[in-house]
Amino acid sequence: MATAQATPARPARAGARRGPLAALRDRPAAAKLLLLALVAAVVVPLVHGRWGGGVWPDALTADLSAPLGEVTDWIVSNRDSHPLFLYFFGHISNAVVLSVRGVYLLLLALGWAGVTVFAAAVAWRAAGIRLALTAGVSFLLCGLLGMWVPTMQTLALMVVAVLASVVLGLLLGLAAGLFDRVFRVLRPVLDTMQVLPAFAYLLPVVLVFGIGVPGAVLATVVYAAPPMARLTALGLRGADGGVMEAVTSLGATGRQRLLSARLPLARKELLLGLNQTIMMALSMAVIASVIGAGGLGDRVYQALSSVDVGAALAAGIPIVLLAVVLDRTTEAAGRRIGAEPTGPALLRGWRGWSLAALVTAAVTAVGRAADGQVWPDDLTVAIAGPVNTAKDWMVDHLYTGVPVVGGTADLAAHFTSGVLNPLRSGLTGLPWWSVLLIVAALAWTIGTWRTAATAVLAMAAIGVLGVWEPSMDTLSQVLAAVAVTLVIGFGVAVGAARSARLERLLRPVLDVFQTMPQFVYLIPVVALFGVGRAPAAAAAVIYALPAVIRITTQGLRSVDPAAMEGARSLGATPGQQLRQVQIPLARPSLLLAVNQAVVLVLAVVIIGGLVGSGALGYEVVLGLAQGDLATGLVAGAAIVCLGLMLDRVTQPTTRRQRQES
Amino acid sequence: MTGTETLKATGNPGPAENPVFSVRDLWKVFGPRADRIPGGEHAALPPAELRAATGCTAAVRDVSFDVRKGEVFVVMGLSGSGKSTLVRCLTRLIEPTSGTIAIDGEDVLAMDRSRLRELRRHRAAMVFQHFGLLPHRTVLDNVAYGLEIQGLSKSERRSKAAELVAKVGLDGLEDRRPSQLSGGQQQRVGLARALAVDPSVLLFDEPFSALDPLIRREMQDEVVRLHREEGRTMVFITHDLSEALRLGTRIALMRDGGIVQLGTPEEIVGSPADDYVREFVRDVPREQVLTVATAMRPALAGESERGPAVRPEATVAEAIEAVSRSGDPAARVMDGGRLVGVVDHACLLDVVAGTTGPGHATASASGAPGTHTGPDAPDGAREVTF
Repeated sequence: MATAQATPARPARAGARRGPLAALRDRPAAAKLLLLALVAAVVVPLVHGRWGGGVWPDALTADLSAPLGEVTDWIVSNRDSHPLFLYFFGHISNAVVLSVRGVYLLLLALGWAGVTVFAAAVAWRAAGIRLALTAGVSFLLCGLLGMWVPTMQTLALMVVAVLASVVLGLLLGLAAGLFDRVFRVLRPVLDTMQVLPAFAYLLPVVLVFGIGVPGAVLATVVYAAPPMARLTALGLRGADGGVMEAVTSLGATGRQRLLSARLPLARKELLLGLNQTIMMALSMAVIASVIGAGGLGDRVYQALSSVDVGAALAAGIPIVLLAVVLDRTTEAAGRRIGAEPTGPALLRGWRGWSLAALVTAAVTAVGRAADGQVWPDDLTVAIAGPVNTAKDWMVDHLYTGVPVVGGTADLAAHFTSGVLNPLRSGLTGLPWWSVLLIVAALAWTIGTWRTAATAVLAMAAIGVLGVWEPSMDTLSQVLAAVAVTLVIGFGVAVGAARSARLERLLRPVLDVFQTMPQFVYLIPVVALFGVGRAPAAAAAVIYALPAVIRITTQGLRSVDPAAMEGARSLGATPGQQLRQVQIPLARPSLLLAVNQAVVLVLAVVIIGGLVGSGALGYEVVLGLAQGDLATGLVAGAAIVCLGLMLDRVTQPTTRRQRQES
Repeated sequence: MTGTETLKATGNPGPAENPVFSVRDLWKVFGPRADRIPGGEHAALPPAELRAATGCTAAVRDVSFDVRKGEVFVVMGLSGSGKSTLVRCLTRLIEPTSGTIAIDGEDVLAMDRSRLRELRRHRAAMVFQHFGLLPHRTVLDNVAYGLEIQGLSKSERRSKAAELVAKVGLDGLEDRRPSQLSGGQQQRVGLARALAVDPSVLLFDEPFSALDPLIRREMQDEVVRLHREEGRTMVFITHDLSEALRLGTRIALMRDGGIVQLGTPEEIVGSPADDYVREFVRDVPREQVLTVATAMRPALAGESERGPAVRPEATVAEAIEAVSRSGDPAARVMDGGRLVGVVDHACLLDVVAGTTGPGHATASASGAPGTHTGPDAPDGAREVTF
C-alpha cells in the first residue's frame, strides 16, 4: 500500500512486457481503487449480513444524550458554586463582561460625532484619505439607518474579541514560529479549525458560560484567533534566511534577533493575520447573536425569525459597511508597509497620529457640549417600511406566475422537489457501508491514505453519534449547492480568464461579496425565496461563488504563458487550449476551488438552520432555544465530523505538492 | 614573500607573525553522525563515495591556513567547493565538526555564547552575497544596526553611520529603503554596515557575485581602496578567478572541501600545484600576474649598465612595455639600487607563451609550490592537500 503510493507514476519505458502489476503501478489511482474493492469484497458481505444495509444500524450507535445530559445538568447546577467556575470561568466571564461594557460606555461617551471622526482619523493614518472618507460615511449611514446603538454594541464586542484573539493568536503564533515541535502540533489543529463551520463552536461555549455576552465573546475568540496564530507562525518561519544570518553575524542576541529582525520581517503576515482575524471576528460576532451577543446580529436574527426582511436589511447594511471599512482599512495598511511615507512631512509619524487624536478630542468635546451623544432620532431614515412594501410586491409579482421562468418561489419549490429531495432520499437510501466506501474511494484517490482514514472515521463517527439521517440531509444540501456553485463558478471563471474586461467588471463585486459575513447572505435569499432548504442552499451558493470564481480565474490565468503560446502556435482552437492546456495545468487551483466551495457551502448550509433548512443546523438552534444542550452538542459534533470529512475528501495530496514545489 | 615562515608539507604552518585567524585541521561534515567522519576510516574517500558510504557530505575537509594581519586572504573555488561554509565556520555561523580556529590567538571554538557574540560584534564583520539588509529600515539605520546591537545610543550610532554612508559613497541616500536602491548600492550599505563596527577582520562571502560586471568592477576598486587606506585584514570568498587575482594578497584554491593550493596570485598562475589548478588558470593573461622577479635570470657580465630599470614586483606586462619603449634587449631588475637580475626578450616571451616551468626562474624568490617540500619551502606551499 505504502509502496504503491510512494513511487510516483513513471512512464514505463519497456512497454512490451509489462505485467498487470506494473500497469497498476503506473496508475496509482487505479491501484488504490482496486485495493479498496478487494477489501470491500471481503468486508461488505460480513458487515451487511450482520447489520444490514440502509441507514446506520442502531446497534452501532452510542446514545450520548444521557451522559451528555448529565454533564450539562451538572454544569448548570454547579455553575454558581463549583470552584472551577467560581475561580476560573467566573473570572473570565466577569472580565469579559466588564471590558465589553467599558468599551461600550467609552463609545457612547465619545458620542456619534466622536466615534465617526475617530474612525475616520484612524483610517486616514493607517490607510489614507479615501478610506477615511469611506469610514466616516459608513458610520454616518449606520446612524441614519437608526442602528447606532446596536452598531456600537457589536463594535464593543468586536473590540474586546479582536484584542483577545490577537493576543492569543500572537502568543500561539510566536510559540509555533520559534519552536518546531509546537508548530508540528499546532498546524494541523489550526488548519482544521479554519474549515469548521462557525456554528460548531457555539455549543461548547454555551455549555460553560451560558447564553450571554461572555459566551459570545469567547466563541468569537476561539473562531477568530486561528488565522492570527497561523499567519504569525508562517511569517516568523518564513523570515529571509540571508537577513537572519546577517543579523546573527553582527552578534545579535536571541531577543534582538526576534525584535529587530524576525518580527519586523513578518509584518506583512502579521497584518494579514489581523485582517483575517477581524473579518472572522465580525462574522462570528454576528452569528453569536444566537447565543446572546446582542447588537446588529441580534436585530437580523430577530427580524429573520419573523421574516421581516425590511428590519433585517436595516441591520444587515451596517454589518456590511463595518465589514467593508474594517477589511479595506487593514488591507490598505498592510499594503502601505514598506512603502515610502507619503504626504507632507509635517503629518508623518507621531505628528499625524497626535493630530488625529486632537481632532477626535475636539469633536468629542463639541459633541458633548451640544448634547449630541446619542444619534438624534429625527435624523434616521426608516427603510424597513419601504423595503417590506417592495418585498410584498415581490411576493405578489415575482414569487409565482412570472412568464417563462416561473417565479422565485416556484423555482425554489422545483429545486427542492427536483434536486434536494431525490438527493436526500438517495443518500439515506444508500446502504451505510457504501457511503463509507464512497468517502474512502474519493478521499484516497484525491489525497493520501491518511486523509482517507480521517474522512472515513469522521463519517463513521456521525453514524455512531446517531445523527445519520439529519447529517445525510445536510450532506444532500451541501452536495446540491456545491454542484450549482461549481457549474456557475467554473463557467464565469472561464469567461473571466479569457476576457480581461469581464474580470475587471467582476473584481469589485467579488471584493465586496468576499468581505460580507455569512449571516448577511440569508437576508436577500429569504426576501427572494422565502424560507426552507432551497433558500439556504441559494445563500450558500452566493457565499461560496466569489471564492470559487476568484481561485479558478487565477488558476486559469496563471497557466504558463509559454505552454499557451506553444498550443496557439500549433493552431489549437480556444476550446482546445482550454481543455488540453489550461484545465490540466490549472488542476491544483481547480481542486482548491472545489475544496473551498465545499467548506464555505457547508458553513452557510448549517447557518441555514435559522431560515428553515432543518437538519443539523436546526438541531443546534433547537438545542440552544430549548436549553436541550445534549441534542445541540451531538449535532455540533456531527457538524465537526461532516466538515472534517468534506474537507479531507476534497483535499489534494499535500505531500505530492510539496515534492513538486 | 620573505620566506621567514617555515612551512611544513604536513600542513602545519609554523608561527607566523601573529596571524589574525589561525585555522588547523578544520572539518565541516553535513549528514548523520557527522562527527565520526574526520579522522575516521572514511576520511579520505572522494565526495561521491563518502556520500554513498555514510550519507554525509564533507563541505570542508581538513583545512589549515593562517590569515595574516593586513592581508586580503582570498578563498576561491567553484560552487560547492565549500568556501562559503568555510568562511561561516570562522565566526561559527556554522558550527565546525572538528579542528581548531583561533582569532588573535584565542580559541574560537572554546568561546561561550557571550564571548562569541563579542567576537561577532567587534572583531569580525561579514558582507553577504545577498546583502542581508533589513527591508524595513532606512539606509542609515541599516548601517547603524550593528552599533544598535552593541547598545550604542541613537545619536552616537547615527553619527558614526552617517560617516560610513559618506565613506562608501552613498551620501544623500540615507533615508531610502534598501528596496529603492540598486544592487551595487545595496552592497555598499552592507559594506558600510560591516565597517561601522570597526572590526579587525572583514569577511566577504561572494559579495559581488550578484552584481553586474561593471558594478562589480567598481565595487572591487572600492575594496582595493578601502584596503589601501585602512589596511584592514580581509577574508574574501569568490568563485571569480579574475576577482581573486585582482584583490588577493594570497589565494587559497578550494576543491571538494579541501585546499588544493595556497599561494600568491603569482604562484597560483605561475606554478599550478596540479592539473586542476592548471586548468583553472589556463586563460589568465600570465604577463599581467607574474612579476619580473619570477621571469628574470641572473645578470651576465656587462648587463648591469644597460637597459631600463624595473622593480622586482613589477608585472611582466610592465617590463615588456619598458623594454619595448627603450629599445634595449633587456631590462634590469633593481631592488632598491641593487641589481638582482635581468629580463630579456626570451624571459618575457617565455612568460607570455607559458613556457616558463618549475625550475626555470632560478633567481626567483618563490620556487614552485607543490614541488619543494623542504622546511624552507616558500610560504603557501601545499599547506593542505588531500
